[in-house]
Amino acid sequence: MSHMLHECDQRPPCGSRNDCTRVMYALTGSAYIGELKEEPSMHRNARTASAALALAMAAGITACGSSGGAGVAADKKQTLTVWAMGAEGEKLAEVAKVYEDANPHITVKVTPIGWDVAHQKLVSAAAAGTLPDVTQMGSSYMGEFVELGVLEPVDTKTFKKDSFFPAAWEQGVADGEVYGVPWYVETRVLYYRTDLAKKAGITKPPTTWPELQQAATAFQDKAGTQWGIYFQPSGLDTVQSWYPFLYSAGGSIVSDDGKAAMNSPETVKALKEYGTYFEKGLSKKSFQPGYEVLTDFNSGDVPMFYSGPWTMAGINDNYPDLKGKWAIAKVPADQGSVSMAGGSSLVVSKDSDHKEAAKEFLSYLTGTEGQKDWFKRSGDLPANTSAWDSGELANDANFKIFRDQMETAKSGPVLPQWTEISSKADEAISQVTQGKASAEDAAQKAQSDIEGLVE
Amino acid sequence: MSTKTEPVADAAPVKTGPGTHSPPGARDHRRQRPVAVQHVAGWLFSTPFLVLFAVFMALPILATLIMSFTDFGLRNVTDPFSAEFIGLENYTKLFDDEKFLKALFNTAYFVVVGVPLTVGLGLVAAVLLNSGIDRARAFFRVGFYAPVVTSIVAIAVVWRFVLDPSDGLIAGLASEVGLTSPDFLGSEVLAMPSLIVMAVWRNLGTVMVLFIAGLQAIPPDVREAARLDGASTWQEFRRITVPLLRPTMLYTSVITTIGYLNVFEEPFVMTQGGPSDSTLTVSLSMYREGFNFFHMGYASAMAYVLFVVIMAITVLQLRLLKDNTK
Repeated sequence: MSHMLHECDQRPPCGSRNDCTRVMYALTGSAYIGELKEEPSMHRNARTASAALALAMAAGITACGSSGGAGVAADKKQTLTVWAMGAEGEKLAEVAKVYEDANPHITVKVTPIGWDVAHQKLVSAAAAGTLPDVTQMGSSYMGEFVELGVLEPVDTKTFKKDSFFPAAWEQGVADGEVYGVPWYVETRVLYYRTDLAKKAGITKPPTTWPELQQAATAFQDKAGTQWGIYFQPSGLDTVQSWYPFLYSAGGSIVSDDGKAAMNSPETVKALKEYGTYFEKGLSKKSFQPGYEVLTDFNSGDVPMFYSGPWTMAGINDNYPDLKGKWAIAKVPADQGSVSMAGGSSLVVSKDSDHKEAAKEFLSYLTGTEGQKDWFKRSGDLPANTSAWDSGELANDANFKIFRDQMETAKSGPVLPQWTEISSKADEAISQVTQGKASAEDAAQKAQSDIEGLVE
Repeated sequence: MSTKTEPVADAAPVKTGPGTHSPPGARDHRRQRPVAVQHVAGWLFSTPFLVLFAVFMALPILATLIMSFTDFGLRNVTDPFSAEFIGLENYTKLFDDEKFLKALFNTAYFVVVGVPLTVGLGLVAAVLLNSGIDRARAFFRVGFYAPVVTSIVAIAVVWRFVLDPSDGLIAGLASEVGLTSPDFLGSEVLAMPSLIVMAVWRNLGTVMVLFIAGLQAIPPDVREAARLDGASTWQEFRRITVPLLRPTMLYTSVITTIGYLNVFEEPFVMTQGGPSDSTLTVSLSMYREGFNFFHMGYASAMAYVLFVVIMAITVLQLRLLKDNTK
């Protein structure tokens, strides 16, 4: 079962996947067929049980088995084990080769793990004390693993906070201690069709909330598009679509001091603004899991949407005809233009015997040269700001927008129960978009649910 | 268990029990190995099953039961013995949990509508394929059975296309005749029926194959006798086919009901339980509580509630549909 379950659900940490929904669906689907295939059965209960037990047993074994170990010096011959997810896992193996050539005493063994099974695998490994020396950690997993006490705090003398985007650094900080070194980042910006904008009489990208709404209306009225914009109306991870509103209004789900903040005036304002797009029919109200916005962007049904850096490659690769007909802009502002930040960090296991060598490997990966090299190989945006000072990242207009957006972007708090908290926010948003509750009522309900979780 | 009966049957003339056997090497030693040796052989043969069963079924089932009385959560993953016993709290909480009650209701909806449809249509398909259709019989059988062996991912892709409100198959057909198709998966009212239709289509094949086997086991002379007595096709179906298929019907209903009570895949891939939890089933909700939120204790309690429900319904079905013809 494990497999479980995949569990799918295991959902990939926010922000670290390219095209969240699509990948998730493809993956989760495939993940569980193996397991749950068609047995009409009581077995499924048993299976769920067995997964739980496997965890418990593994845990039992480790309780006595693991030890910190004195550790091997960095210059000794040794093998570093590294787990990385999805496409990153495959690309990282190439980097490992290069690193091995430069450091012959180190062997880097990279194991790629699918996002679909990553969460379960990491939890099982944490329970069994078999985590690799270095692990890629999505921002939404971090809180859990800090809570499990399996991560080694980062040496903040080697890895400095001001080398990285602030939101990237925050993703690795829990209770004032730093556990992750930022590896790559992503943030959401506004994508729009320039050709349709011309038809709609829009001469410059919207920069404020009212302008965004006017633009959406103009697209529908003057350019005849079916929708004005796409925002996810409901379902898992709707929050990600809503964050740019929340953060731009200056609100939060859980405040910096760890209190539920769903009913703050800023948060309610963001909910209300988001809701108006559905109320006015500017954005589609019904949610289809697996919805691919690019199809509708290409056809012109959806002229605007928010998405991350991977979408640029997605448009170029899949819709070459759109060349020259689209552009990106910073998310329209309320108090400010503040988008969500996602991405992945790298963590070192507390039980690792190769902490010194791991630190050197991480220094390479997150240093200027390593980050530039990684950008070339993977297209992931570097977390280290110095990598942005030259080359394509410094000169390309689109990357400049991403950099600007990233400077002010915010990431969610690192909390072990974050998945559950954000699911409460998902519910509140869908209540509003579906017109079932006012922003105030939905926020109040989520507030009391979340208060129960954070206290 | 099987090891117990064997020596008795085998060594019938001898008094069973250790020590009463003739010594090995006696003339009929081939038939009368010492019971102990037979026991060893028996246990040896059962060991692989027993070990697998104990490790992967019995232990987990027991562990889940214990867990359901604890507050087992994320922290306990690395330190399972620090989970605290909280008695029946998980269970009492369950029945105050609106989400769980909704999930129970949705599951019941799925079963109550889905099972009769699946069994009924499976029977119709089987009868037609068994006697009505002569040409291309294999083609139809494969056609009905194909969904059973197709991966849910492929099925989800196809059904999303079928149900897509803007450029799906149904929407396309509807617009041809000037109608607009509803948004099946996006509507709270239609989402569940859509999933039921999909599940029926997907599981029809299994039921059909079982019924075909059952139909072929009905002796032709019974039918002939009925026909000679002037029974119409309907009467033959009603008075001969259905009663003689009763054991098959019992089996298919029980299996389908159990499968449907556990429904997970359809809502998981098609709707994620939405919109507004209208397709959230008990298994899906359990899965989320356990593996997304790490409330293992709470999820275990859900598993046990579902288990008890399944048990009760199965026992009830076995009673009600008992074969009375014997």
